[in-house]
Amino acid sequence: MNYLRTSPLHDAFSAVQPVWDEAHGMRIASRVGGTDAAIEVLALADLSCLPKAGLKGPLAAQWLKAQGVPVPPEANTWAALPGDGVIARLGRSEFFLEDGASGGMAARAGSALGTGVEGVYPVIRQDCGILLAGPRSNELLVQTCNVNFAEMDAAKGIAVMTQMIGVGVLVIRTNLRQLPCYRIWCDPTFAQYFWATLSEIVAELGGGAIGTETLLK
Amino acid sequence: DVLVIGAGPSGLSAALAAADAGAKTVIADENARIGGSLGYQRGGGEAASEVLKELSDRVLAHPNISIRTETLAAGYYADHWVPLVDAKRMTKMRARAVIVASGVFEQPAVFHNNDLPGVMLASAAQRLIYRYAVRPMQSAVVLTANEDGYAAALDLLANGVRVEAVIDLRHAAGASDAATRLEQLGVRIQRGKAIYEAQAGGDGVGGAVICPLRADGGLDEGQRQKISCDGIVMSVGYAPAAALLYQSGAAMRFDAAVQQFLPQTLPEGVFAAGRVNGVYALEDRLLDGRRAGNEAARHVGFAAPAAFPVPRAAASPSHPYPIFDHPAGKNFVDFDEDLQLQDFFNAAQEGFDNIELLKRYTTVGMGPSQGKHSNMNAIRILAKLLGKPPGEVGSTTARPFFHPVAMSQLAGRGFHPQRLTPLHSRHEKEGAVFMQAGVWLRPEYYRQRGKLKPEIVREEAMAVRKSVGIIDVGTLGKMEISGPDAAAFLERFYTGRFANLRIGMTRYALMLDESGVIIDDGVVARLGEERFYFTTTTTGSANVYREMTRLNTMWGMRVGIVNATGAYAAVNLAGPRSRDVLAGVTNLELADQGFPYLAVREAEVAGVPARLMRVGFVGELGYEIHVPADGACAVWDALTQAGRVNGIRPFGVEAQRLLRLEKGHIIIGQDTDGLTTPFDASSEWAVKMDKPYFIGQRSLKIIQRKAPRTRLVGFVLDAIAEYEAPKECHLVINDGRIAGRVTSIAFSPSLQRHVGLAFVAPELAAEGGYLFIRADGGRMVQAMVSKIPFYDPAGQRQKDAKDLQAA
Repeated sequence: MNYLRTSPLHDAFSAVQPVWDEAHGMRIASRVGGTDAAIEVLALADLSCLPKAGLKGPLAAQWLKAQGVPVPPEANTWAALPGDGVIARLGRSEFFLEDGASGGMAARAGSALGTGVEGVYPVIRQDCGILLAGPRSNELLVQTCNVNFAEMDAAKGIAVMTQMIGVGVLVIRTNLRQLPCYRIWCDPTFAQYFWATLSEIVAELGGGAIGTETLLK
Repeated sequence: DVLVIGAGPSGLSAALAAADAGAKTVIADENARIGGSLGYQRGGGEAASEVLKELSDRVLAHPNISIRTETLAAGYYADHWVPLVDAKRMTKMRARAVIVASGVFEQPAVFHNNDLPGVMLASAAQRLIYRYAVRPMQSAVVLTANEDGYAAALDLLANGVRVEAVIDLRHAAGASDAATRLEQLGVRIQRGKAIYEAQAGGDGVGGAVICPLRADGGLDEGQRQKISCDGIVMSVGYAPAAALLYQSGAAMRFDAAVQQFLPQTLPEGVFAAGRVNGVYALEDRLLDGRRAGNEAARHVGFAAPAAFPVPRAAASPSHPYPIFDHPAGKNFVDFDEDLQLQDFFNAAQEGFDNIELLKRYTTVGMGPSQGKHSNMNAIRILAKLLGKPPGEVGSTTARPFFHPVAMSQLAGRGFHPQRLTPLHSRHEKEGAVFMQAGVWLRPEYYRQRGKLKPEIVREEAMAVRKSVGIIDVGTLGKMEISGPDAAAFLERFYTGRFANLRIGMTRYALMLDESGVIIDDGVVARLGEERFYFTTTTTGSANVYREMTRLNTMWGMRVGIVNATGAYAAVNLAGPRSRDVLAGVTNLELADQGFPYLAVREAEVAGVPARLMRVGFVGELGYEIHVPADGACAVWDALTQAGRVNGIRPFGVEAQRLLRLEKGHIIIGQDTDGLTTPFDASSEWAVKMDKPYFIGQRSLKIIQRKAPRTRLVGFVLDAIAEYEAPKECHLVINDGRIAGRVTSIAFSPSLQRHVGLAFVAPELAAEGGYLFIRADGGRMVQAMVSKIPFYDPAGQRQKDAKDLQAA
């Protein structure tokens, strides 16, 4: 890879003139409005830069284990990867991996798989990755999705594949600084619509966009 | 935990049972007060009120029950999602179990002048009395077919209305307590009779003409008798308020004994109780509510008593046919739509003998009440005309919301997903005028100061023909299939041959449905022995992927299928100078020997890993370049920068349509329709009938044996002004009859004439023959059937790329 990657939300952030930075080969908004105070209410951030990998096939779980990747035992669950990464099991034989601020298990797995091995097929992942965090997160989710996230126990490691505002998404619940936090991934071609709509609701709820500066530390 | 819809006796009883078991229970009722029919169907006594008071006291005091009155449960959606609409807002309620105790709608009788003021349902008269303290009339004739009519007569008497007579449609109605009381109070009861007509008088009803009811259901008009009154009260039957049950997916069956559609099987977590469940006696409704409440509580995990049987109505509360013909008509079935009995006879005579067709022909049930007071009678009428029981005629499902809901409750943010390619900002910068393509926005053309669209489109097309253009084709569906059976899978899925496709080459792919109709197309590229990358149409990707995964579940082949539509961006760099431009941003060998026409290569373009396909959709030397979405801008910027010296120009969908038309390439959905086979579309070359199997092959073999139906041909026009030229969908006329239609037409700047594609009758398809197309204003325009491609028929633009560049 020898190019500067573009986030699917690059244009959405351009309008608010953020402080730009580069992370994982992608130009990203590291600071927006000079503060992350929105996270105390409700914050949205673009984490699309984080390296991702996808794979499917009857031998996918077995192959991941052989690579030393912790494999969630059941479909629709997720587990943590070293360095704040995640691995979500999207079905019996399909997985999504994303590295965190540090760690490189997802990237390594993607490279190791290459164009695939017997019974394991690569799935290109270019998802728009969003972080939604803050005490009012659930108020946004009830307006945009039929799943009752308020009842979701972060400790159970549920990975939800559903629709938000008409867009197919993968959602997991974590915690960030003792605040409710959701990671949401969607197809990058829906990213601008998705972000614009969520931003409107976030603004109504008193929150706003934040940069990745503190999130990726 | 539990949502109870309806606060009548069965609903209240259900809520108490569920709440007693520990379930958090919400009762929703559209009325201002709880109690349902207990509040107004009193039968002139206090017993109903006492039951209501006891239920109310318990419900209001119960810590597990909350009540929402003046709240309509307006629909049922998946997973027990019920919108609760009150005067100010809509609440999205998702319960773990739903009990539908929504009761019934009383149904009118159909007789002459049944629309006169003063003709009303018994329950309406009782509501006027007990809810609004309004005496509905001075003197009444009560028409009934059940015991509720007798109770209504007692309510009328108890509130100062003179009851002139009770007319009972039943010949064999027994002497109930209510009947005995009425007779003791001097009310005449006439059994086996019906109302022939209401007569006008004063501001409304002046009297009722009754006559005996024959055994065959007709009226013995010779024995008419007039009874003076200023009101007619009807209690002849009910229809279940079952809209929510239907919407939940409940299977309903018609019960002849109860004369009502009843739930046969209910979805998990949905329960029915009370009159909507065919249970009518008050004590049975309370029992049925308790049963449903217990079952719902158990369903959500609370301990509650096991299910027990509850008897349904012993005698039908609904008359099977309270509908009476009259020579003067005005016997209304649907009061909203002014539909009389004769309208239904006419519909059946015209052949609309199915309830769904009847509804559309007559518009029954399409008024504000949405059939609540007309659909059941319509079913009974149609059943009688067809000589079938109502259950065989069937019923219709009211879509949510089944009651009118104020627009203000629905106002809010609209969610309309929009897909943008990763190059959207680049198009904006270039002045793109966007068009909607399914859920995508695509550049239609790029604005030029002082120029109109047709001129711009032709310029964009000529840039491709003369030098180089670039178009964003990222909306194409993009799929990957890998595995030992990948080639075999594609052989089955598409009409062409892919097992023999060499690695590094591409081939056109045509997809049919089982009936042999074209539904999608694209290009398949073989990247490895077991690895293929292929495209679909812009709007077809989701369907193709879904169908592939469905089929593979059945076929069990060893393949992995990936829908990578959003993950890849794609551009088509096309024109005689495209190779020069591309050479500036890649190290890939681009000469014909290394990268021939229809080949696919994997290489870096502007540092981005790319798949490049030499395809010729627009009929020029060209490269379709597919890259990960996050590299799209880098590639676009590099190509447009490298192409500046050659005057590279972005072109939009309109120019692409023109260019492909010049090459005679079809667009699925524009040059095909829901009946088009490859034979119709002159695409036999893409169909390998000698393969053992592909989807649609069996149908094509049958179709092949039949005479051709139509044929897609090319045509050209002599010089003609743009405004005089035919347009897409204009008809081909032969001997005064429709013989085809135009599917595509445009002025070709390369050929300096209009060219087009049209479906025509096979006898008109010969090259050199003439067609007559009826253009705007009825003008007939002559066109000559022409060989396609119109442009570069020998394909020289691909074969001799070097020579072209040198030229």
